[in-house]
Amino acid sequence: MEDQDRKKVILSLRWTAIIVTSYLILFGRGRVMDPQLSHILITGYILSNVLLTFLPKTWFSNSKLFYPLVIFDTGIVSFGMYLSEKMTTDFYLVFFLIIIFASISRNFKMLMAIGGITALLYGVLLYSWGFLFSKDGSSYTLRIPFIFIMTAFYGYIVQTLTTEKRQELTISEDKYRGLFENANDGIVLLRNPQLIIADVNREVEKVTGYTKEELLRREAFDLFAPEEIEKARGYFKEVTEKGEGRADCLSLMKKDGSSLEVDLSTKRIDLGDESFYQMIFRDLTEQRKLEKKIGESKRNLEAIFDGIRDQLSIQTPDYQIFRVNKAVTENYKTSFKELIGRKCYETYFQRSLPCENCPISVTIETKQPASSIMKLSEDNTTLQIFSYPILDEKGDLLSVIEYVKDITEEQQLQEQLIQSEKLAGIGILASGVTHEINNPLSGIIGMAEIALEEEDPSKNKEYLNDILNCAQRIGEIVKGLKSYSRVAKKEDLSPVDLNEVLEESLKMVRLAIKKTSVEVIKKFQLIEKVQANMGEIQQVFTNLITNAFQAMDGNGGRLVLSTRSLKDSVEVKVSDNGNGIPQKYLNQIFDPFFTTKNPGEGTGLGLNIVYRIVTKYGGTIDVESKEQLGTTFTIKFPLRRVEA
Amino acid sequence: MKRKILIVDDEEVIRKFLRIHLAKLGYEVTEAADGEQAIEQLGKDDFDLLICDIMMPKKDGWEVIKEVKSNPKTKNLPVIVLTAKNEDSDMFKGYDLGANYYMTKPFTKAQLLYGLKLMFDETPEEIRA
Repeated sequence: MEDQDRKKVILSLRWTAIIVTSYLILFGRGRVMDPQLSHILITGYILSNVLLTFLPKTWFSNSKLFYPLVIFDTGIVSFGMYLSEKMTTDFYLVFFLIIIFASISRNFKMLMAIGGITALLYGVLLYSWGFLFSKDGSSYTLRIPFIFIMTAFYGYIVQTLTTEKRQELTISEDKYRGLFENANDGIVLLRNPQLIIADVNREVEKVTGYTKEELLRREAFDLFAPEEIEKARGYFKEVTEKGEGRADCLSLMKKDGSSLEVDLSTKRIDLGDESFYQMIFRDLTEQRKLEKKIGESKRNLEAIFDGIRDQLSIQTPDYQIFRVNKAVTENYKTSFKELIGRKCYETYFQRSLPCENCPISVTIETKQPASSIMKLSEDNTTLQIFSYPILDEKGDLLSVIEYVKDITEEQQLQEQLIQSEKLAGIGILASGVTHEINNPLSGIIGMAEIALEEEDPSKNKEYLNDILNCAQRIGEIVKGLKSYSRVAKKEDLSPVDLNEVLEESLKMVRLAIKKTSVEVIKKFQLIEKVQANMGEIQQVFTNLITNAFQAMDGNGGRLVLSTRSLKDSVEVKVSDNGNGIPQKYLNQIFDPFFTTKNPGEGTGLGLNIVYRIVTKYGGTIDVESKEQLGTTFTIKFPLRRVEA
Repeated sequence: MKRKILIVDDEEVIRKFLRIHLAKLGYEVTEAADGEQAIEQLGKDDFDLLICDIMMPKKDGWEVIKEVKSNPKTKNLPVIVLTAKNEDSDMFKGYDLGANYYMTKPFTKAQLLYGLKLMFDETPEEIRA
């Protein structure tokens, strides 16, 4: 029962008791023994209640006032009964009023005590009037235990009700205590207005390192780091004025002297007749750590971004630059501010529209990475441009990363590498070619010597013819070498008959390697011509055929060269029954500089060049090999796609 | 009696000028165009000298020399190796197999004459003359 209600109930019950008592004394059936004393009694009774109305309501919850009041009333009523003789029945009812009044105390023992006193007083009165044991007073006498029973009954009901209520309260209090104690934020209850700590939850103990006992009864300011106390005072001033307030980033001092950064939120609350400030704080250490980590990783990413020496820029889906790395600003000798918001094609390529083969356009359309190669005519630079999408969680395109790589040098190197491999290839061929040249050369020298000695001029014609034939043979060989060593440019593409090139290549390899016992089987189909560079295709085939010959070292070998048309490609197979490639090397054979030959014998570039040339034409190369059984290389050149 | 020489080379022109030179010098010359033919000829006839090329189809010069040197009938037959391979390793290989003289292509008549002189320990008729 609230204090407000309790005061009202007590006052109104007493007014009722006063009115009934006064009426019974003044106008009741019995004779008033002493009218003057009766008037004083009534006036005193009324005055007492008038006085009570001025008392603060909190007093009414206090048993210090309540019990004397009930005893006082019981006394007044008993004295009133005494003064108005034989008004036993009427006053008996007033007693009940008092008992009801006393029941407000919710104190069973006290109620029973009052019931006892009332019953006793009633008994004394009955005795003084001679009713107690008399025949006509027997009905009155029975009222004594009745008062007692009624009191007990009231007491029982009141007790039961209040116990239930108290249990409910205990449960809900436990609930709130649990919430308070287990809150993830620190909660401090401060008394108003002294700002003395009245309670703290476990989180406060945890983060400050103090125990609850150490903190209780200390000032709120003791919680703060010394240098923050002024700030804290200002904060609490604001809180006491407004009844609530927030503060960010105040430092608390922990028991070990270290400080703890917190966000504060304080609100005034009134609990019962006491007023408190409930101060809630949130430990920012974890948050700061997280912020620090995010900052660090952001800096790392920026460092990586700027550390990449190729040009990187991030663009909106409408080609506007919003982030570039240092390589870009350095390359264009400008600042980030000048580039931001500008269109990439305007900035990088001086164009008014996106470039024709722009990979970013592809990425914008498909949300997939793309790449293309752009040749800048003004300074002969070749750029490879990659674009990557940045998608949001829904999969929509947020922005595009443009990665520009200057591959001019790389391309030059690649051309040089191809060239040097050709030279290396010539080196391998050289010994064979030497043989092949030395033979006709021997013929030339030999026949020339004979011609010089010959006296019959008619015979000389025959010798000179032999010499001419030998010289022409040497010329053919040199011509073959020349075509082999040329670097293919885009302009050098022409329709190439692969069957023809296979024949040519076979011839060249035969010049180099005179394998006595290799049987060559040709299974050529009529196939479409492939748009390619003759020299490069020849290089592919000579490499493969040379390898095949070398693999068939000294065991009656059989080389099968076959071609056939497929749906949209042509297929070339170079198959030998030689040593085969060990399984463990199969995935390495196309790597540059991978070789199983002795140093000086192989460059390890041959198959790499083959691979690069084949893939350059959009073709594929596959290898099947079994040790001691042989190897088959299968090459497919596409017919539609012509790109080099 | 004329000394008999077997020339083995797959190059017709080389066989031709060797034949002309050797015939003029007074030798009886037989030709073979590859290793198999050479072995065949060696079986048919007795020779005083074998001039043999190395890189030939079907059976190369090394194999011919090996067979010649392992055959008791021919193991004392002098052999001049005639080759376009001019690497030291090849030359040593030739001597290891039992060749008696090594000529790398291209060669001159003078080199041939010197070789003949070494083989027969005599000066051919022309030089004598």
